[in-house]
Amino acid sequence: MNGGRPNPRQTDAIDYEALVQEDRVHGSLYSHPRVFDHEMARIFEASWVFVGHESEVPEPGDWVTRRIGREPVILVRGRDRDVRVLANRCAHRGTTLCWRERGHSRNFRCTYHAWTFDLDGVLQGVPYPAGFRGAVSQTQLDRPAQVARHRGFVFARMSAEGAPFEEFLGPAGVELLDRLCDLSPVGRIRLHAGWIGHQVESNWKMWYESNNDGYHFRFVHASLLDAMPDTHYEDAVLGAEATNPSRAVDYGGGHSELDFRRGYTAPLAWLGTDEARVGTYRDALARARGDEGAKQLLWDGPPHAMIFPNLFLGEMNLVVIEPVAPGRTILRHTAVGLEGVDAALNRRILRQSEAALGPASFIVPDDATTAERMQCAFEAMAPIPGAGHGWIDLSRGIEREEHDPTTDRRIGHVSDETTNRAFWRHYRSLMAGA
Amino acid sequence: MKARACDADLYREVEAFLFREARLADEGRYAEWEVLVTDDVHYWVPKGRADYDPGARLSYINDNRTRLATRIRQLTSGRRHAQTPPSPMRRVISNVEVERAEGSTDEYDVGANFVLYELAVQASSALRVWAGRASYRLRRVDGELRIAAKTVELVNDDALPNLTFLL
Repeated sequence: MNGGRPNPRQTDAIDYEALVQEDRVHGSLYSHPRVFDHEMARIFEASWVFVGHESEVPEPGDWVTRRIGREPVILVRGRDRDVRVLANRCAHRGTTLCWRERGHSRNFRCTYHAWTFDLDGVLQGVPYPAGFRGAVSQTQLDRPAQVARHRGFVFARMSAEGAPFEEFLGPAGVELLDRLCDLSPVGRIRLHAGWIGHQVESNWKMWYESNNDGYHFRFVHASLLDAMPDTHYEDAVLGAEATNPSRAVDYGGGHSELDFRRGYTAPLAWLGTDEARVGTYRDALARARGDEGAKQLLWDGPPHAMIFPNLFLGEMNLVVIEPVAPGRTILRHTAVGLEGVDAALNRRILRQSEAALGPASFIVPDDATTAERMQCAFEAMAPIPGAGHGWIDLSRGIEREEHDPTTDRRIGHVSDETTNRAFWRHYRSLMAGA
Repeated sequence: MKARACDADLYREVEAFLFREARLADEGRYAEWEVLVTDDVHYWVPKGRADYDPGARLSYINDNRTRLATRIRQLTSGRRHAQTPPSPMRRVISNVEVERAEGSTDEYDVGANFVLYELAVQASSALRVWAGRASYRLRRVDGELRIAAKTVELVNDDALPNLTFLL
């Protein structure tokens, strides 16, 4: 596959076991180009990555373009209604086939020499075929070795070897996706709102860490609290350290959550509203799940969780972390639409999404500036294991978190760095374990 | 079309209004800027062209008066890190077109191109260029021009850096 190029999965000149420790990691991991190349190979190629949701391509011929690491791919629904992930690169000379964000096609025709591929990626025809050996008829677009899905969430693994999907997602990943989808009375979400991109001059890993950091809110988002003092984060995130019952959870496998359920003080706090204003929604949930079930769902709301490495379940938003370069990341977000609810509720979710996420929103730009300030501070660092400086402290709460040996879950205070450690422990196993 | 054409005095008045609005935005004089909008203002920065229902799809900005007030409160809180310190910036406005709004005696449809240079001094000090066309619905209120709607179609699209000032 790689021709004569050294395979970054095998050239292990960087000592990740030394640079990633339980309570600290080295700053060069955010900035060094070789680290980034290793990550693309060992995480984004060799492990599972979120690609998209089936509801984005409802009809045969519908497609959206995405990236798996830096690899451009097409998520497309075929004539057989199956959803596939195909390389967005002609099998002839490599021209990008789809250069828009989304579209609908009967097939994929390359603009260079008009090679035409069916929706399943199989070559249908080429002009002037006599010049080719017979093998051209067997040609297909490249594709990930494995594609799997849960509740319409499509994940892919580029390389043939690696953990099976069930092991990657684990019971916790299943539970997190279920908790989001179960907020629909018919158990289905729909991504209908389009995606907004936000480019940040920082490393992609800061976004796993920032999304699930329960310690920073009062400081980074101080201006939001000034401008919008009734935010739902007041109780669940900001409550006094001693009394806030919200939790930071490390599920293993790199997945983690800021679990606000115990911190909420009213149903629907996560939606900034109350039952009286969404009566038809409560009734629809009660018909589907019973009164008790509906009550629980309205209290708990959606998860605030990271599915390793690139999918943030940001309550009623999805965010995809797209690594571009060591110091550049694109965050793409969309609002989660619920099937089986009235349009007003989905519009409310969309408005909240605009307020929270994206380059002009009230929350994430302040995280972006913070991440860019970190990146400036890491830019010159080299990955030297014995370095006496440049270490990042991730020890908060390490003494007080509970470890459940049967599930291998670690549970800390919502403000503890339990979630950071969840990321780095799995990162270390993928980066050093090869 | 003729009935909607505007005379030279109105054109100059609108142009002066746009220049003043631009200067207040460039200099972060938000309290003075906020006076220029009506209570039913809609401030919209769509993703791409303004050819869709902003209630049905995400936009970069889709502010009614309440949300615009929140945006300005956040900017003036002194703790908006994404604009601390504020980006030095200057915009150039051109290609101004003014028409009387159809069926109205006190409203005008206005369009203007802009190019804006921003120095993002909050972290890396990158020089960023923003370009696009702003379309306005201006209304005369007690003799003064006010912004009843402003829609900004950016040339920049797909993955913008922080956009935490007013376009």
